[in-house]
Amino acid sequence: MSVDIQLAPVIHFEPGAQSFKPSRGGNLAASALRAGSLLAFVAILFVFSLTAPYFLSVGNIGNVLGQSAISGILAIGLTVVLIAGGSNVVTGGIDLSLAANMGLSAAVYATTVQLGYGDAAAVAAALVTGFLIGVVNAAAVVGAGIVPLLATLAVMNIVAGLELVLTQNTVIPASTPLLTALSSSGPLGIPALAYVLLVFTLIAAAIVQYTPAGLRLYAVGEFPDAARAAGLPVRRLVASAFIASGLCGGFAGVLSVSNLSGSTTGSGEMLLPVVVTALLGSVFSRRLVPTVIGTLLSTLFVGFLVNGFQLLNISSVLVSGVQGLLILLVVSATTLLRRQEA
Amino acid sequence: MTLQTSATAPSIPRAVIGVIVNNALVLALITVFAIFSLASPTFLTIANLQSILVNNFTLLAIVAIAMTFAVSVGGIDLSVGTAVDFASFAFVSLVLAGQPVAVAALAGLGAGAAVGAFNAVLISGIGISPFLATLGTLFIGRSIQQLLTNGGNPVYLPPSGIPEAFRFLGRGAIAGIPVPLILAAITILGATVILTRARFGRVALAIGIQTSVVRYSGIAARAHVAVAFILAGLIAAVAGLILSATVTVYIPSSGSAFLLNAIGATFIGTTLSRLGRPNIPGTVLGVLLLGIVANGLLLTGLNFYWQQVGTGLLIFAVLALSFITRRKASA
Repeated sequence: MSVDIQLAPVIHFEPGAQSFKPSRGGNLAASALRAGSLLAFVAILFVFSLTAPYFLSVGNIGNVLGQSAISGILAIGLTVVLIAGGSNVVTGGIDLSLAANMGLSAAVYATTVQLGYGDAAAVAAALVTGFLIGVVNAAAVVGAGIVPLLATLAVMNIVAGLELVLTQNTVIPASTPLLTALSSSGPLGIPALAYVLLVFTLIAAAIVQYTPAGLRLYAVGEFPDAARAAGLPVRRLVASAFIASGLCGGFAGVLSVSNLSGSTTGSGEMLLPVVVTALLGSVFSRRLVPTVIGTLLSTLFVGFLVNGFQLLNISSVLVSGVQGLLILLVVSATTLLRRQEA
Repeated sequence: MTLQTSATAPSIPRAVIGVIVNNALVLALITVFAIFSLASPTFLTIANLQSILVNNFTLLAIVAIAMTFAVSVGGIDLSVGTAVDFASFAFVSLVLAGQPVAVAALAGLGAGAAVGAFNAVLISGIGISPFLATLGTLFIGRSIQQLLTNGGNPVYLPPSGIPEAFRFLGRGAIAGIPVPLILAAITILGATVILTRARFGRVALAIGIQTSVVRYSGIAARAHVAVAFILAGLIAAVAGLILSATVTVYIPSSGSAFLLNAIGATFIGTTLSRLGRPNIPGTVLGVLLLGIVANGLLLTGLNFYWQQVGTGLLIFAVLALSFITRRKASA
């Protein structure tokens, strides 16, 4: 019960107000870290904007948002699984099939378009693909009781194989009115994908952070025994988290087709960056738990870093290294602060 | 639902279920083996069985054993591929620079152990969770490799400049047995002894089951975790040496290809074992299962892309069946 009470007043966009009023000693470290990571975010933006004047222009920010849309939506899908599955990555919530899911959904979308169907049918086909992958994951984890890491690993192999079967490892071009609209610019000259990401995040955050079902996901993930004792439908909630994640994969698949004007191979490369983004996201939350807005912030953090590097002509070779260092820095800070707190 | 079935089920099937659960992995292997023997006439030939061991088993077995050490202390090592790559890079570059093969090989092992030591500092020193620490190592390692190779160019050994010892390591044979296979066998034996006979192994497994108990018994749990991760890096480095000696080239980040299969084999071996603990025989059987499935599907003449689907489906089926029977047995 206390779980819900603690979780209810999660307010995301008032870092200052939060960090100056630590209600308990334990919250101090968390607030410091959260304020620290937001500060680091702002500092990086500041440094880049000084060195690359174009960096903080509306156009560039829009570009970063647009380029982050696909990974952001995948990371939000993974966040839902992390919330419902708990923090232990090996035995708890993880969905390794997300990137492959995006690849297959994109291939299904492009193939449906090639077969002469319209946008509505193609989008539906892609979403159904993602949904079905989510259902298989849910059945494997909740029904058969397979550890999520193993279950989604096997599903990832199946899905990646199906994508190869469908595409014969080639690019399937597609151009439809929807794809044209998605790859065009919206108001303020900002890419349409940027708006898609923002709207998607708001809807997902509203569902996960502010509905009873969303709050129950946290209860199930953090205290499964307590949740079960309180009469929550634990199995159904975990299953729905995997299905939601599958749907995110399907949706990201459609967007990826618009981004590359066709389905392309190599979606598996997205997997680890998405895992990193989703895990980093918890640093941007008040209680250091995965949240949808936190994941959006961490997606943008990584997006701005990559973009700033490009503007400064720093070799793209360093991007993955900096991402790695970032994880280690953030996580060491978290661990050390937690230790002080204890 | 499960309660009802177990209450009404007669006692004999229950015993049968118990046997199945306790030997799930061996039974799965026998089944898959029998299916492919029937499906393809060439499967059950000496040449093919040898090909399974050389092509589908050796390298993955060594990397999966490295993974098993990390899993035995309750962790996971996502950077086993990085250790493979660093060892391979050091080995090939030094041989290319004209150093003796033995020196280059030692440097390669050292490079792999260094990756493990970096993980050990992060995990035991700072206290980062193994998943995140080794994920960070994986990303940093990728950048370092690209920096070292001008953005990811392979390092080739010219065909004329390959020392005999280098070639022997990758393609040689002693009494008709390929050297890589012998090295894999030594690794398997050594790892089994360390994990089951040595004090270190018992402590490591105890840490994996209940860290706090180990700590309260006055044992330096952190030091044992650190050693397990350094061993993981060192063992993965052996695979790196064999890999580069076989293909006589170092390709940046090629070791990451082993990662997911190594995780799969290790956790199949862990979850399908009687006690549900990480163990070397289980890991080895897991690697064999993956290898036999890959080889068998190849022989069936199935389209290459369908083979991947088939592999995934078979592994999925094995996992699902064993987890369901296990649940039935414990209900």
